[in-house]
Amino acid sequence: MFKKFARPTALLVTALLLAPLSPVNATSTATKYPLVISSGGYSTTISKKPTRIISLSPSATESLFEIGAGKQVLAVDSLSNYPKSAPITELSAFEPNVEAIAALKPDLVVLSVDAMKSMVVKEALEKLKISVLMEQAPETLSQAYKEIEVLGAVTDHTSDAKKVTFKMAALIKSIVNRTKKTVKITFFHELDSTLYSVTSDTFIGRVYKDFGLVNIADKAAGADSYGYPQLSAEYLLKADPDVIFLADAEYGESAATVKNRAGWSGVTAVSKKNVFALPNDVPSRWGPRLVDFYRYVAACLTKVKK
Amino acid sequence: MKKNQIDRVWRWQITASAAAALLIACLLAVGFGPVNLNFGSIIRTLLGLPNGLENEDRTLLLELRLPRVVLGAIVGAALATSGAVYQSVFRNPLADPYLLGAASGAGLGATIAITNGGGNLHALLPIFAFLGGVLAVAATFLVAGRLFADPSTLLLAGIAVGSFATAFQTYLQQRNSAALRQVYSWILGELTVANWDVVKWAGFYIFIALFLLIRISKVLDALMLSDEEAYSLGVSPQKIRLIAVAAATLATATAVSASGLIGFVGIVVPHLVRGLTKRATNRSLLSIAFVGAAFLVLADLGARTLLSPAELPIGVITAFVGAPFFLFVLRARNRGSQ
Repeated sequence: MFKKFARPTALLVTALLLAPLSPVNATSTATKYPLVISSGGYSTTISKKPTRIISLSPSATESLFEIGAGKQVLAVDSLSNYPKSAPITELSAFEPNVEAIAALKPDLVVLSVDAMKSMVVKEALEKLKISVLMEQAPETLSQAYKEIEVLGAVTDHTSDAKKVTFKMAALIKSIVNRTKKTVKITFFHELDSTLYSVTSDTFIGRVYKDFGLVNIADKAAGADSYGYPQLSAEYLLKADPDVIFLADAEYGESAATVKNRAGWSGVTAVSKKNVFALPNDVPSRWGPRLVDFYRYVAACLTKVKK
Repeated sequence: MKKNQIDRVWRWQITASAAAALLIACLLAVGFGPVNLNFGSIIRTLLGLPNGLENEDRTLLLELRLPRVVLGAIVGAALATSGAVYQSVFRNPLADPYLLGAASGAGLGATIAITNGGGNLHALLPIFAFLGGVLAVAATFLVAGRLFADPSTLLLAGIAVGSFATAFQTYLQQRNSAALRQVYSWILGELTVANWDVVKWAGFYIFIALFLLIRISKVLDALMLSDEEAYSLGVSPQKIRLIAVAAATLATATAVSASGLIGFVGIVVPHLVRGLTKRATNRSLLSIAFVGAAFLVLADLGARTLLSPAELPIGVITAFVGAPFFLFVLRARNRGSQ
């Protein structure tokens, strides 16, 4: 019974083993269309090299431009504010307007699975013969790299994408190794002034974990199944973090406003002036600027006073 | 006798002009959108004549724009009619279709689908919202018990059940932060992506409910009087109230599960029609259905074109346009009665 398959299987294995040696593979990084690729939990067929891409994901926009596919990008959503050369429009990434997308006549739409009714939007666009690539917020670095590489394969920039992720991984590794401390530093990552935070199970949380930091929000991990619990002020004061990272600086929070909150002046992070405002957008995107986020956290950590 | 005849003629004309308004609203709505389509071609396509739209344009019209317009009309008719019925059943001009917990129940159902769904349950959101709405209203009746004979007890029970459902919904949101934005979007109400499947099932239930309501509309007027007077007219107010509320709830829950919570239609449209016609609600129930449909179709046209290519939540438009217009009618009517 199994013998029947033995020979073809053996042939296939041999072929796969020899594949890297054969001269044909020298050009194998060029994408062959039609391409069937799975992303964000869905499979997509790309019939030809896309040249009119609409990106409805700020992270995907950054990645597309970094891997050299910027020229193939026709329009990006209203929040895709980086890089500056991205053709920003009023298109909403959260509430995609199918007709408005169709009006631009794209050949590929990059859509977040978290967008409102993303599945229905996907089906509607496909009815109009527009391919849709689904993007999911990654949970780990390797998933983030995978998404960049998928964009590379789809846009025929496979080797460029590989170069980008390889470089990112190398940089992040060296930044972390250079900065890692043996002393335990506790921190609080503030999403907003009502004390929403992130646990170490989230993508952002993992960045801090890589540096060996201790997240005070981890004790509240059970409060929210997605890892974004709201902490109580009392708990925060008791946990007394050594460092505070403000992800809400663009909404007016700063070391000064934090210090003015009732009871906060006694928090170690405040009294030792270890309150850092994170740059806008960078911590919430999983594109090539992830390296900047690591770099920024590393720079803050060198300034931390215990 | 003569006055009655005039009445009948006038009513017929009102209903006809409401239907005409709906037709015009629908034509405008299929005619405009972010993609420019030739109006003549649109009409030819809709009538099945040659030289209509082709390929993607045709799909866009028939699979995206048209179902959205039709769904808007169905939902608008459902909300306006249920609103009118609730108002007479509860003898309360401020009653709206969401009063007995249908909205909060549907909101809870939708939140359960969104938060626990990941991907699987999400497709079931309409069913969850529908069940949530119906169960909340059923709970309201159970809480009120035999006392549902008394509209004000029922109202208070509705408020209690609604608050409970809302509290539970908020708790779920707090535990599932990533779902917040989706829940919020849903609450604001939206017709953004309609397809024929939604139109079919929503249309089915809403049609049954509206048919029933319009059939009993004459008896509904008796409920505007006291229960004793209703009895003296040979009407059992409790039975009628139960049927009317059940049918209105069916229509509301279906509308809500198809398009989220679209506010204000259920209050504005009945009063608008009443204000313009100076008629008791129920004689003009069909007109109210038509005007409700036209109102929502136009509001949705605004929702998808005003900020194009972005979408504006339709609830913003219904309230923003509806509230001042409503005040105007209210003022005009008061002046007229003085």
